Amino acid sequence: MWITILKGLLSIWMRSSLNKSNSNSFRAAGYRHFLLVACSLLFLFILSACQLKQGVYIQKLKNQHYRLIVNGSPYIVKGVCYNPIPIGFNHEYDWWADPNKPWIVDGKLMKEMGINTIRIYESNNDPEKVKQVIGDLYKLYGIRTLMGDWLGFWEYPCPFYGDKAFQDKVKSQVLEMVNLYKDEPGILGWILGNENNYSCLGHVNPWSNEEIDKEPDPQKQKVMRASIYYSFINDLADEVHKADPAHPVGLGNGELVGLEYANKFCPDVDFIACIIYRGKTFGNLFKSIRMTFDKPVLLAEFGADCYDAYLKKEDQNMQAFFLQSQWNQIYENLANSKKGAGNCIGGTLFEWTDEWWKYNPDNPQDWKVHNTESGWSNGSYYFDIRAEGNKNMNEEWFGIVALSPELENGLNKRIPRKAYYVIREFWKNPVLKKARDRKVF
Amino acid sequence: MRKLLVVLLALGLMFPAIAMAEDKAANTAKEFVVYLDKNARDNHYIPSGWMGDYGDIKMNDQAADNPHNGATSIQFIYSAKKSQNQGWAGVYWQNPANNWGNKKGGFDLTGMTKLTFWARGAKGGEIIQKIMVGGIKGTYPDSAEVEMGPIELTDSWKQYTVNLVGKDISYLNGAFGWTTTADLNPEGATFYIDDVRFEADSALKPETKKQQAMPFYVYADRSSIANHFIPSGWMGDYGDIKYDGSSKEDAYLGDTCIKIMYSGKATQGARWAGIFWQNPANNWGGIDAGFDLSKAIKLTFWARGAKGGERIEEFKVGGIMGEFSDSDSANIGPVILNKEWTQYTIDLKGKDMSYIIGGFCWSANVDNNPEGFTFYLDEIKFE
Repeated sequence: MWITILKGLLSIWMRSSLNKSNSNSFRAAGYRHFLLVACSLLFLFILSACQLKQGVYIQKLKNQHYRLIVNGSPYIVKGVCYNPIPIGFNHEYDWWADPNKPWIVDGKLMKEMGINTIRIYESNNDPEKVKQVIGDLYKLYGIRTLMGDWLGFWEYPCPFYGDKAFQDKVKSQVLEMVNLYKDEPGILGWILGNENNYSCLGHVNPWSNEEIDKEPDPQKQKVMRASIYYSFINDLADEVHKADPAHPVGLGNGELVGLEYANKFCPDVDFIACIIYRGKTFGNLFKSIRMTFDKPVLLAEFGADCYDAYLKKEDQNMQAFFLQSQWNQIYENLANSKKGAGNCIGGTLFEWTDEWWKYNPDNPQDWKVHNTESGWSNGSYYFDIRAEGNKNMNEEWFGIVALSPELENGLNKRIPRKAYYVIREFWKNPVLKKARDRKVF
Repeated sequence: MRKLLVVLLALGLMFPAIAMAEDKAANTAKEFVVYLDKNARDNHYIPSGWMGDYGDIKMNDQAADNPHNGATSIQFIYSAKKSQNQGWAGVYWQNPANNWGNKKGGFDLTGMTKLTFWARGAKGGEIIQKIMVGGIKGTYPDSAEVEMGPIELTDSWKQYTVNLVGKDISYLNGAFGWTTTADLNPEGATFYIDDVRFEADSALKPETKKQQAMPFYVYADRSSIANHFIPSGWMGDYGDIKYDGSSKEDAYLGDTCIKIMYSGKATQGARWAGIFWQNPANNWGGIDAGFDLSKAIKLTFWARGAKGGERIEEFKVGGIMGEFSDSDSANIGPVILNKEWTQYTIDLKGKDMSYIIGGFCWSANVDNNPEGFTFYLDEIKFE
């Protein structure tokens, strides 16, 4: 475009100059025309710069790699999942309304670490409070927000994704969120759901409908559920795009389960927001996604706890080791990386602070206790896999910032763990290491 | 008196010096002998670590019948009678004798790059399940654990090599060992071992996993050397499972198939159960082993239910996560079994099969099988 404009302007100038080439005022007229052309070019350049595609979008490069663009510049999501529940409270605590504004303290620490994004699982009922949090983090620290919605996943008795009324209710809720916050400058994008795909297998929050119930083959039932669920997400993504063309929409998917169906029924999402707990390596994840559902990948939830369930003591080295290895792999698979799949746009690690309520969510007395009991087993986190019953995952110890019962300005004092500093240094100078490097402290 | 003291002092200094010199000898020598001949001065290890069905083993450490070199070799007769109900047996060469890692012994073999040995079967066709270098645990664990096998012996002497390049062999108490199973040798086996030694071969390169040719079997038949994975990973209510790897109840191919009985009693309270076929046995990702199956595009197997209608939640390849995780995973399920043999396929196209320790797996639960079930598997293979 620029070449065409330049050619046009130059030809006008040349013609004008040639017409007057015999007059005495040739030199002055030529100079005036040159100035006219130059000013026009400058004007067009400024106009064009102002019209550079604003907002957030995914760019597919010539080498088929993907990158996230924010207001015209490439953006690596260096993020963290954020749910600042204080000691003594559970997930029902309305931290958005906390007069001590934990996000102000946290945002400062985040910025110092290099975090540029937070991921929030669901917005609050009070739009003004949500706007304040998003706005404060962005204006004060330049931190953007990926806003999510559970899509009714935890509704009793189960999420009826095969039911039109349920779909409409969820759709209305999501669109309300999008319309409320799409103009907030701090919004980075939307994430639809969080591991809801597991319900299609019937393992978590199983749901069905009459048609599915009639099918005797359980494999076919699974396919039917997946087609319904991912088709619904696709409709939802289309609606969100209509309401807000300026931000990308992600599919919050547990592992890679069901992505072959997403490929078929859910082509309109902009990226996959994967929830992955595979220890020090993501394995073949990035290449596998290339094969099954070729979309950009955000590692929307990953990480490691810092409690050694075998030795029964906190082990910050262990957490830092896993997180560094995970970030290393994220960077290996960013756009234009030499050996990776080039389809990763970053990650939001799980999580910012510990949550002391998780082991026993229904017992208020227990929310004041930093439980060391482990809830589940995952051999990928192999340092403490020899714990009793192989249960080595400590839900209350995933924070890269510890909470102290001691209060500071009304908030539990924040104590960054080793992982905080290790990842901060990695982001400053991301030297990539082999995935199979041994644990070295 | 003073002279006596001087002599004692000199001796006191000399013995540790000799001991140290021997320790370090391994670092500079071209070879370090495990076993050469009965009573050879250079023998450094003792075949004392009998394992598994040790009652099934007879050893003659001065077999003069056709040794490979010198005057004797070691003859092993494995009866496969399962004297201790283990189904397998083996012997470790240890230093000192019977050292299962409870005392300091062994040698620093840094500088050696391979272990070689010669072996032959009495008839040919005898199968050694695996050869081990290192791997003894305990308070003083070996610094490395390297395995090789299975190998099928011939009736003439043949040399075998275990590549040790890049391995930390700074402390080896269990220098060499073999195991085999009754399944692999149902009629027992007689075989001979000779000239076991570590060697420093500077030209040897680190062993890289070779891409295995297809088809590559998880299970072919009870005694088949083609079996590459062991059904050792019992999960969930493992007390509900009975496994018979040599069932003769209407095998699909060959003379045996796998029969699995699941009681659904929830013995361990998990309400589900399953078995992973692993390499090596019981490897939950803690051992760097497995196979490069990059050439595989699918895994196929045959299955049938005793009654038909049995529900298997999942058949799976890979997915073991640990320090050395499987490079990928793939699965099918739930599967309702037919009463007749039916072939199932797990599609592996686009999967990274370059590092697989969990070759095959099934799992089922009580909720869908309250009365339990019996089902059969056969011809499990990568293609």
